[in-house]
Amino acid sequence: MRVNRHNYEINATPRLQVLSEDQIEAIYYASLRVLYETGVRVYATEGVDVAHAGGAIVEETTARSSLVKIPPDMVDKARATVPSKVVVIGPDRRYRMELFKNQIYYGGGSDTPFTLDPYTGERRRSTYQDVKNFARIAQALPNYDFHMSLGITQDTAVGTYDRWQYLAMLEGTSKPINITAVDIEGVRDQLEMALIRVGGKDEWRKGPIFSLYIEPVSPLSHSREVVQKLLFCCDNDIPFVYTPCPLAGATAPATLAGLLVQALAESLFGIVLSQLRRPGAQIIIGGLMSNMDMLSTIYCYGSPEMALLSAAYTDITKWLRVPEYETAGCSDAKLFDEQAAMEAAINIATSGLIGGNMIHDVGYLDSGLTSCPDLMVASDEIIDMVKRILQGIEVTPDTMALDVIAEIGPGGHFMEHDHTFERFKTEIWRPKLIQRQNWENWQLAGGQRYGQRVHARVIEILESDTAPLLDEAMFKEMRRICELADARHKDEELDVKMFV
Amino acid sequence: MSEILKRMSSAVIQGQRDDTRQMARDAIEGGCSAEEVLYQGLMPGMDHVSGEFKAGRMFVPEVMRSARAMLNAMEVIKPIMVKNGIRMAGKVVLGTVQGDLHDIGKNLVGMMCEGAGFEIHDLGADVAPGQFVEAVKAFQPDIVGMSALLTTTMRAMEGTVQALVEAGVRDRVKVMIGGAPVTQAFADRIGVDGYAPDAAAAADKAKHLIAASR
Repeated sequence: MRVNRHNYEINATPRLQVLSEDQIEAIYYASLRVLYETGVRVYATEGVDVAHAGGAIVEETTARSSLVKIPPDMVDKARATVPSKVVVIGPDRRYRMELFKNQIYYGGGSDTPFTLDPYTGERRRSTYQDVKNFARIAQALPNYDFHMSLGITQDTAVGTYDRWQYLAMLEGTSKPINITAVDIEGVRDQLEMALIRVGGKDEWRKGPIFSLYIEPVSPLSHSREVVQKLLFCCDNDIPFVYTPCPLAGATAPATLAGLLVQALAESLFGIVLSQLRRPGAQIIIGGLMSNMDMLSTIYCYGSPEMALLSAAYTDITKWLRVPEYETAGCSDAKLFDEQAAMEAAINIATSGLIGGNMIHDVGYLDSGLTSCPDLMVASDEIIDMVKRILQGIEVTPDTMALDVIAEIGPGGHFMEHDHTFERFKTEIWRPKLIQRQNWENWQLAGGQRYGQRVHARVIEILESDTAPLLDEAMFKEMRRICELADARHKDEELDVKMFV
Repeated sequence: MSEILKRMSSAVIQGQRDDTRQMARDAIEGGCSAEEVLYQGLMPGMDHVSGEFKAGRMFVPEVMRSARAMLNAMEVIKPIMVKNGIRMAGKVVLGTVQGDLHDIGKNLVGMMCEGAGFEIHDLGADVAPGQFVEAVKAFQPDIVGMSALLTTTMRAMEGTVQALVEAGVRDRVKVMIGGAPVTQAFADRIGVDGYAPDAAAAADKAKHLIAASR
């Protein structure tokens, strides 16, 4: 196999590069042709109007949608105002994400229907308590920089679950959150909750405490809710993730380059629309690209193509200078088993080495259907290892230690030297759950597999006493917003019990 | 008096290599006996270090510093102990066996045993059976410790034991072995008295062997 040595730059940080600049430009100009020649279908008049006023060609208008074609100069104009950096800060202002080129941040995934119960191991419908549990795990582990709702709350009302799971997350973590929303009303309610949490609009402007996840539909379709959410975010200083989820061979070409062209066209439409609505609107483009498994038909979360596509897309977004949404820490395994650990390790390492920005979906099993606390705890340590690799090797006269080598000479040892004493803690990474004891001591300590130690840590986190993050009045006020939403939608509600 | 001993324990724990000699002198001048310095000052500090190391809260370079802090103090009190006929924890002759140049593990064992109050005679690496025999005769140790990293050189352990038997000194000493490929089962097969999987365990094992034989 050919190895592209030129991919490796001389730098303090090890770096991976998948696409050359020529390849990136080829993909970029191809996606401009898709936008102009094929066009995208937009299912919201409001969005069609904004695009049209900005110079787009509108064709084939039906009762529900229009085909919108974007001339290349519109993209150039949008690129001139789209921010190269987006900042999201947690309610605890120490937790800060500065999303720009090569800054890596890891966080959970969102909205899985199922959760592996931490006590019984059973796969069951996710609940409010599950969502809170995952948020507490994210809060406890240092390598999680943001969080998403690992589990759709299904013991709350079906049409308003988004508010409830935001509340559950706020109970568990004070880190930045990437929320999802049922519709624009859901975004509005959650913004109201966020303003209560952060202490008003001025504080929000200093640093929004959530971003909104928006997912256009591949291929090349932008639904009504998606467009409405995008415009609402632009109008209300809300950073948002605009992430298509194309599937090679199913909702995108089977060839990875073809998928990248299509995904970029989908993202660029988001950039154009947002910058037309409000120049400087804070968009993060992503981020979940994979292949369909041609036997099982599942969306692969652990395939090498998933990691490779995410990495390639990062190269493109770095070239565009737009913050990027990325995927890692996830697997197609059904349990936290060897496959899960292997797939998560591969995609976490790839996402770190490529320098993806907002790397989500840590904790996903079962092709995005099941959330797993054990995978989240295990991935924290994988991320820690990757971060050590990313630190690289400092090469200076001091670190090359010629004097020390001369002093010790042939046959001596370095264990007692000051140089060792002073450097070993910063130079040599130390594991937390990884076991390195010799056989005898490992046996003495219970002879546990990694999975058992990971699980013990899950239980330890869940059963630890932590001070509540929300005071009672604040919690009540936010809960009231959820209840009012429930009341407004009471008539549409399904029997909640059928879900749990 | 107990104040200086406490400070000495703390200096060992902190790895204050440059302070402990003077502290030992001050303690002796202040009326402490050499035994008190060892068993109420240095050893409690080193025991604490050993516990922290086993618990994963202290690391090799730190333990090395603590051991060195203790050994520096030992330089002051050892001549006094010898003069007064006070026995140390025990004497250990240590070496990596013939054909094997790997000595980092053996060095670790030496430091750990010194930290536990043993007197160490380190014969180095690639030590022939005859050299072990000579060392037993010369130093009169309580324990002979052998190290090997290679499965091929493990065989030299058995040969060295035979050499000790043939020289008629096998019964005078306890023999301990260790090294990455070595196991308790191998130790049993070649008829030695002790095996330890790592350096900290080796120091403990040495103490047990001495306690059992006295």
